[in-house]
Amino acid sequence: MSDAELTTPFRQRAGSAMKDEFLQEALTIATTKFIGLRREAFAGFPEGEALRDRARAIKEATLQHLDRHLETLIANVERLGGHVHFATTPAEARSIVVDIARRTGARMAVKAKSMATEEIHLNEALEAAGVTPVETDLGEYIIQLAHERPSHIIAPAIHKTKGQVAELFTRELKRPAEPDPEALTRIARAELREKFLQADLGITGANFAVADTGTVVLVTNEGNGRMVTSLPRVHVAVMGVEKVVPSFTDLMVFLAILAKSATGQKLSVYTSLVQGPRRAGELEGPEEFHLVLLDGGRIAQIGGPLREALSCLRCGACLNVCPVYRQIGGHAYGYTYPGPIGILLTAMLEGAPAVRDLAHASSLCGACVDACPVRIDIPRMLIELRREVDDEKLAPWTERVAFALLTKLLQNPRLYRFAAKAGRVLQRPFARDGRISRLPLPFGEWTRTRDLPPVASRTFQERWASDKDLRA
Amino acid sequence: MTTRAEFLERIREQVRMSPGRSPASSARRPQHPAAEAETIRRELVERWPETLEAFRREFEGVAGVFHRTASIDVVPAIVARIAHERQAREVVTWHSAALGADLAPALGACGLDVHPMPAAEPSGGAERERLRTLAARADLGLTGVDLAIAETGTLVLVSGAGRPRSTSLLPPCHIAVFDRTALVESLRQAGVFLEAWHRDGRPPAGGSAINFITGPSRTADIELTLTRGVHGPKEVHAIFVEQPIRG
Ligand code: SF4
Repeated sequence: MSDAELTTPFRQRAGSAMKDEFLQEALTIATTKFIGLRREAFAGFPEGEALRDRARAIKEATLQHLDRHLETLIANVERLGGHVHFATTPAEARSIVVDIARRTGARMAVKAKSMATEEIHLNEALEAAGVTPVETDLGEYIIQLAHERPSHIIAPAIHKTKGQVAELFTRELKRPAEPDPEALTRIARAELREKFLQADLGITGANFAVADTGTVVLVTNEGNGRMVTSLPRVHVAVMGVEKVVPSFTDLMVFLAILAKSATGQKLSVYTSLVQGPRRAGELEGPEEFHLVLLDGGRIAQIGGPLREALSCLRCGACLNVCPVYRQIGGHAYGYTYPGPIGILLTAMLEGAPAVRDLAHASSLCGACVDACPVRIDIPRMLIELRREVDDEKLAPWTERVAFALLTKLLQNPRLYRFAAKAGRVLQRPFARDGRISRLPLPFGEWTRTRDLPPVASRTFQERWASDKDLRA
Repeated sequence: MTTRAEFLERIREQVRMSPGRSPASSARRPQHPAAEAETIRRELVERWPETLEAFRREFEGVAGVFHRTASIDVVPAIVARIAHERQAREVVTWHSAALGADLAPALGACGLDVHPMPAAEPSGGAERERLRTLAARADLGLTGVDLAIAETGTLVLVSGAGRPRSTSLLPPCHIAVFDRTALVESLRQAGVFLEAWHRDGRPPAGGSAINFITGPSRTADIELTLTRGVHGPKEVHAIFVEQPIRG
């Protein structure tokens, strides 16, 4: 995200997203499709509910002893001949990777499955060091050619039409391209195949790491994860500390629910378990393997209010069901991780002030909790975040005064009844066709993008007191 | 730069700050995975036809092409037919020891150019490069299978000497040969085998990669249109051999 984009207020970004007709349609189609696929996958999988509980329990239990599991992981990766690095900040993570690239004389790096490297803005740092980073997931590749950012965790280019992709390929790759997904995919295959074979460095994230065995696990549908971990001389995996699971047995529980939640597949096409550099007798596999363990704000939440968010598998299910995400898409959020979980992750990584506006970009409807394979209670944490943001006087004064008044009203029945009566009189000039669409300043801001239902002519309490029907 | 000690100490501090915030329970791990894996195998001696049928259904559900034949001797003819239908000639294969049979002569007799991968590590960079180029140019890649998971239609391949990762990855068409000894019913059972290989240190091969392959490579990144063969193979075939391959 460029600074210019970030200085645009969230409301404005959301507003322009809602005016973009293609984006609106693409979002509706994509999210609706993913919701349906997910539902079908779990409908045919009766043990799914129990496995979700199990997965969550494993995540919690692992966090409880995260130090021990990480020590085991580190010992096993080193036993297998790999190197482990420790990064407290994104800057530290960047310089670790850049140093590896320099030391090994890398000119080109192929990348796969790497929200974590997106998060630390690795590509810019590599370019500055003279290493060309190439995104190899088709969606990410398109985004990189267009100098944009992903708009969905698992479908990064849903905001682009095939026509736009064809134009992009024709312009950037100097290959005449037809607006046909099949043909475009063929072009990308040929282009990227060359890169896989040439690259010196393979950079990935990790979906999981198995402590017991020192295994890094990558899940992809395209096969780019396999390419990146098999062909280049050096493999660097950048991983948030929370991705560790104790054993293969635990891993299987997650694999059984991850793809179902993301795309409705029983399993993604490729699940690659890589354990250190290549061994004696092997034709492929990296000579060097590096694991970069990333804090970036995660560690402070192990005992903090956002602890639950550390269980996130990045499946994207909560994005698809979120009424706010479905309206505005990923870009409007302005940070690496969009959607409801993205707000929490952004608060974790960037600090609460970064989500002053975003913390309110949720209707708290709870659809995300139901969809989440590990049942993360996102609304609960959003409410806490809002409170924190409001306490820090980060909200506009009008909002703080309004909420302070509301709190008083709700605590005092007599005051509440009086306010309801007063409201009925005061709203008269503003109510039209049963809605209030414009309020005077300083409340005008609130009704600029929403309607307010008018105060009812009789409150529920008044009806309760007089209506026998209501009580019958 | 953060040191390992500092990094882990900060985690320890946090862990201490959050004692027992939730009931701690992890997935039950098999106590004796090797014995449990044996039990699974034994039970499947009876049930394999149903398991195979379930595998076929799921494998075809992810666009895999399933074949069944009586003995390994018929496999070259099936491979040749697949090749001829695609006007393909170049075949890279795992080493005969890894496949469980030497199919190269028969494949050659069917008019294919066969390149078996060596059993030992190539002696130098040039040889390594040559073999990789062969795999990158080949039309078909022929491999064995270490586990076939019925629940998901998944083939599990362990890398190692004579069983390069590229054979199932670089050619546009991957053909995998397996018998009933590879069959398991579920992901959970596959987990037991993984635990067993790890715990008693006797995996099917000594390489550093274990790949789960569930159908051909796919993407839906352009307007959600499902497209196959983006980086990995566009086609995956599984040939089931009724008589155990290793006799
Ligand atoms: S919060 Fe849950 S639903 Fe959302 S991406 Fe993470 S795991 Fe998936």
